Amino acid sequence: MSRSKVVPLADLAARIPDGASVALGGSFLHRGPFALVRELIRQGRRNLEIMKQSPGYDIDILCRAGVADRARVGIVAMEGNFGMAPWYRRAVEQGKLKLEEHACATLTAGMRAAAFGVPFQPVGGLHGSDLPALNGWVKLPDPYGSNEDTWVIPRIRPDFAVIHVAEATASGDARTFGTPNWDHIMTRSAGRVLIVAEKLVEEEVFAERPEFTLVPRFLTEAVAVVPNGAWPGSCWPLYGVDYPTIEAYMDETDEGFLEKHLAEAPETRHE
Amino acid sequence: MSEFSPFSHTVLGMARFIRPDEVTFSGVNSTFAMLACLLAKRAYPFDFTYINVAGGVDPDPSFIPLSSSDPVLAQGSCSIFANEDFYDLCCRGGMDLCFLGAAQIDGEGCTNVSAIGDWHKPKVRLPGGGGGAVMLPTARRAVTWRTEHSPRTLVKKLDFVTASGGMHGLATPIAIFEKRDGRLALKHWNPDSSLDEVTERTGFTFDAIGATPTPPPTAQEREALAFLDKDGAFERDAKVRLR
Repeated sequence: MSRSKVVPLADLAARIPDGASVALGGSFLHRGPFALVRELIRQGRRNLEIMKQSPGYDIDILCRAGVADRARVGIVAMEGNFGMAPWYRRAVEQGKLKLEEHACATLTAGMRAAAFGVPFQPVGGLHGSDLPALNGWVKLPDPYGSNEDTWVIPRIRPDFAVIHVAEATASGDARTFGTPNWDHIMTRSAGRVLIVAEKLVEEEVFAERPEFTLVPRFLTEAVAVVPNGAWPGSCWPLYGVDYPTIEAYMDETDEGFLEKHLAEAPETRHE
Repeated sequence: MSEFSPFSHTVLGMARFIRPDEVTFSGVNSTFAMLACLLAKRAYPFDFTYINVAGGVDPDPSFIPLSSSDPVLAQGSCSIFANEDFYDLCCRGGMDLCFLGAAQIDGEGCTNVSAIGDWHKPKVRLPGGGGGAVMLPTARRAVTWRTEHSPRTLVKKLDFVTASGGMHGLATPIAIFEKRDGRLALKHWNPDSSLDEVTERTGFTFDAIGATPTPPPTAQEREALAFLDKDGAFERDAKVRLR
């Protein structure tokens, strides 16, 4: 047994300073590190850059609370019947959030450059899109003579990756069930990796099937244990999306909502 | 009135682009594409590989989720083919049919999912393209849908080109377009609409040679849609109108 990396959620959030770039795991309303996102709001963090291929509730509530001012994202929505993420949308329209618009695969390519230890990474497609000109991306000829030009994306190295998982060990091994979304490349590209887990399990359980482990302990800096921490999103197979809460979230006329929402979140019952 | 509702015309129009033995993909924020793929699995007498953004490969979900990226869409799947994998598959030419959303579509089937107005000073910020910019030019075929068929959604000129490469197909409550000689050509119009109406409500010019009224839903298609949308909630929530 190596040393325990388990810390309270507040300690996990306190490691992320103002101005940091943070990759958030999961996708839309599914398996996002939402307890950590709310804790960043409670701690009054400012000027964060959010990196995520498909954020939703997380980037929206960070815009709503004025925590994020930069974003590199592929597609942003609340999904289902809820459509656009309204506070994100307004933050971009009003110039409060500086957006670097990506395709999901270009953000991934930038992260792959960081993970692979190279300054840029080729990506398929993009031909004819206005995105490369917008972002100053460069197209290179194949140096080996195939005559195929390829767009290359500069390295994207988030200061932090924070992912929400079903299970972790006290030493920092982590695993999910169902799709890992983009969490693999996020945890390989980031400078520091923080884990929020539904529960701790014994190392023997991980050792029985080590091939199921998404993040090995030596990549993990710290782990916070927050049951239901992906609320109001889902964490497969433990719980689904809490749609009534999402509906309440989307009610823009409820001015006291954010405070109530932060106070009733599951992490407030376990700290 | 025909046997179509505006909702079923769109979903069935999409499902009918699915072909035997191909790899077909549905993504995030794509309820209609999810329904079209699940419908084709039930209604059509052929095999195809359905992969989705939840990592599912020919899944057997225990319920039909509101969110088209819900992890239940990998239930019953024998593997998890996650995000990096399906993008790479598409880029190397292994995705036969890819359903991709759009806010604006032009006559060549290119799409804008980024912003209405100037990108830097948007009148309306849109969700962003997600997979589009990479998948539309690399998928063998891509198909999109719009529940609003109007000159502001089907446009002569896009405000911003999020994804180029050209859609193979487009389904709306009143029309089905399919690519011919590099442009979207009208294939069918909803029998409750007309060629004139489609022309009037489409911002780009199109070829309508050989276009016919959409063939009515088959018994298998009707049964499959009724199974997937048991209490009609998807149809109600989608709020699709003929006009």
